[in-house]
Amino acid sequence: MTGLGAVPGIADTMAWLDEVPLRRLVEAGLEMSVPLPPGDRPLVEPGTEVVPGDLLLEHVRDRRVAEVDVRTPDGDRPSAGSRWAPAPGRRRHADHPGDGELLAPVPGKSGRWRLVTGEHRAQTASSVGGIVVEVRLGAMIRLRVEGLAIRGAFAAGASARGRLELATDPFGDLRPGGIDVGRTGSILVVGARIDAEALTRARAMGVRGIVAASVAGKDLRDFQASERRQRAALHMPEPFGVLALDGALKRPIATPVAALLERLAGHEVALLVDPPALVFDAAGVDLPDVPPDWVRVRSGPNLGAEGRLRELVGLRRFAGGVHLEAARVDLDGEAPMDIPLADLERLG
Amino acid sequence: MSNPTRAFATIDRGTATTAVALIGWAGGRHRLLGATAGPVGVPESALLERVRRRAMAADPSLLESIGLEHPGCAADLPRLECATTMPPELAVVAATERVVKPLAALAATAGWHVRPVVIEGSEILKVATSLADRHVDAILAGASDPPGADERNLIAELGTLVAATTERRPDLVTVLAGGLASPGARTEQLFRPDRPGPTVLAPSPLDDGGEPLRALLDGLRGGRDDARRAIAAATASLARVLRRRVEVLEIGQSGGSRTVAAWQPGVETAVRTALVPRAALLPKPFTEADLDAVIGWLPVALDRLRLQDRLREMATAPWADAAGDGAIVRLASVRAAAARLLEATPAFDAMPAPDLVLVTGGAWLAGPATAAVLALADVARRPGARAVGMDHARVLAPIGTIEDEDERARLLADLRDDMLVPLGTIVLAAGLRGARAAGQLTVHGTGGPLDVDLVPGGVDLVDVPPGEHATVELRFREVVDIGVRARHIALVVTGGLGGLVVDLRDAPLRLPDRLEPRRELLASWQGAVWPGFDQ
Repeated sequence: MTGLGAVPGIADTMAWLDEVPLRRLVEAGLEMSVPLPPGDRPLVEPGTEVVPGDLLLEHVRDRRVAEVDVRTPDGDRPSAGSRWAPAPGRRRHADHPGDGELLAPVPGKSGRWRLVTGEHRAQTASSVGGIVVEVRLGAMIRLRVEGLAIRGAFAAGASARGRLELATDPFGDLRPGGIDVGRTGSILVVGARIDAEALTRARAMGVRGIVAASVAGKDLRDFQASERRQRAALHMPEPFGVLALDGALKRPIATPVAALLERLAGHEVALLVDPPALVFDAAGVDLPDVPPDWVRVRSGPNLGAEGRLRELVGLRRFAGGVHLEAARVDLDGEAPMDIPLADLERLG
Repeated sequence: MSNPTRAFATIDRGTATTAVALIGWAGGRHRLLGATAGPVGVPESALLERVRRRAMAADPSLLESIGLEHPGCAADLPRLECATTMPPELAVVAATERVVKPLAALAATAGWHVRPVVIEGSEILKVATSLADRHVDAILAGASDPPGADERNLIAELGTLVAATTERRPDLVTVLAGGLASPGARTEQLFRPDRPGPTVLAPSPLDDGGEPLRALLDGLRGGRDDARRAIAAATASLARVLRRRVEVLEIGQSGGSRTVAAWQPGVETAVRTALVPRAALLPKPFTEADLDAVIGWLPVALDRLRLQDRLREMATAPWADAAGDGAIVRLASVRAAAARLLEATPAFDAMPAPDLVLVTGGAWLAGPATAAVLALADVARRPGARAVGMDHARVLAPIGTIEDEDERARLLADLRDDMLVPLGTIVLAAGLRGARAAGQLTVHGTGGPLDVDLVPGGVDLVDVPPGEHATVELRFREVVDIGVRARHIALVVTGGLGGLVVDLRDAPLRLPDRLEPRRELLASWQGAVWPGFDQ
């Protein structure tokens, strides 16, 4: 690993460093949400503690609406969102609905309600441990996640869990041929970028997730279209997600993040889609130290380069005749250069 | 202020930018000591210290006189603060498209992201799922008053679906408008009276041009010290101070706003405002049409997919990649956003034309001042003459949080020359025909008279420095529209960083459909006003 050694003389008294945008290396107490559309049945309630693999909800894959008579002898009016099932012992016909969730009364028909029901149901397990904070019927389940999280820029697919494996170095690209069944069940770190073809191959090989520094918009859209087709199939595919740590333009994974991912290799981690993050159990994992003056170029001509901050230099004129607040940076051992402050980020 | 504080800070917390300014009492009035801004996440104390440090370097005796000579002391100053948050989402539901459209258009100017939902022709499950979606913060349900023939048999369905949604989410704010709010409709009886969320009976969107309903929806957003509402309050005070009609166009990451305040002697200043999330620099969702709009304003060729990726990065890090063609992309995005803002507020164009247009929001600062003036002239195509300024220190919104109108006006009167950067004056004439010289312009300034040929389709820049006034005589061969229809007109214009911009292009602006000639044309205009444009 380069560029992460301690720097003598750089003290935390450098308050001016605050002017350079800071990104957290890890976050605790992340909250995630799981969609719960009308018809899906929550299997947890607020306050429930869940561990990875615990069931969160029952998902109806072929949701449809049926009309049912909900009149009861005591005349109670049910409420929308409550569960309804046919009276026990009643004969079921193929065209009669099974159990489901009451959607709304049928206007003008006393005692008749619309019911969301379906034949094909699948149970969704939690990819993380945590506490259920909220169950909003017809909308979502919200969990406070246990463990630490590396935040990403965006994610697609479904939240998944697996063993973290490093497939390339932080600068690398993973080609489709580089993924085989030996990666089944893993969450792969693939370096700088991955394309749609490699993503679909990874999913086909049983990989559970991909972590890359960047995913181009076109590849993301192609993957999402493919994912929608997969989800529409009769058999539910295993959950598979892709997490872009930094954005859409190609750059290597930041050195401190790569160092942390190296330490997490072989550990079980969870890839979350909403919010985009990689969650891990902090026990037994040392977080890398990041010197306070370490910076990375997060955008602009030197995208992805890393270096050390020397000083703030105030307003400087840059290409296009624009004036921006800047800092002088020793970039990857090159001569010092002035870079707009907003193009830099610190990790801490 | 009646009991002036020696110094205080203003803080404008946006969704992308934190802007700070230091204001001190010196020479018997408030003065702007300095201002700066940084990406969200940079501590306010660091930004305030940057301003203090620079002010100290420029005028140490002034800072000593108001007690700001010590490092770190600016962080402890009293503050005027305001904030912008991401817009909440409003599901606008009605029986038919005919009813949803005007309701949605109105709600879209009240600071809400709008999700239109139509009952007619939709699957009930889709409608119910959409209303219950976790991103929905409130529901506006409406009907014509009395309900039209096309919606009568769907009104009951509409009521039961909305009521069922509130049973799932009892805290959901629900607004009933038009026919659903009329006493005969009894729609509110469908809602459980003991639920915690309110059911609000709202005025019809047809009442007073929809302004009462818009104001109600804006109020429901909550947000104490909301920066966009504060801009509206400050604009009214500024119009009173300047005794002018003032328009403020603000473009930000989470939305845009347009406020017009018309001062008239002896009567209360009339103010109209619209807060439009779709007028964000990069609106959410960012559609292919939005991308086309940005590409349509680009004077350089950029690969479409690559541009899309750059804009995606700009959405997550709005301050990044601001140099080089990043600045050009930003100003193209500003034009597209301002065009959406103007398109969403057509009723404003029926009001008297403003004397002064102020632009605010960091995106306008992406290029030099002259480029900002041209960007405004490109999209605001109302014929006439208007001065253009910029709230460069972004103090307008924090000052708008002062509740007392007189106090607000006094502070603005003190600060007006410090806080408003004069960008120049735009003179826009419409109705010119042909390619030959359409007339002559004579500028009577401090440097003596200057004659310029007026050529239709072009933009002429005349140097009138900030702080100077010049008399401009326009003599056309034919009658043109310059706010009034005339052939010969004389105006007094104020100078600015961009000077006088005489815009004789079409109104509305007609650009070639093919991208290459379109880019060449845009580049020729921008190259003339943007030093370093082609670097």
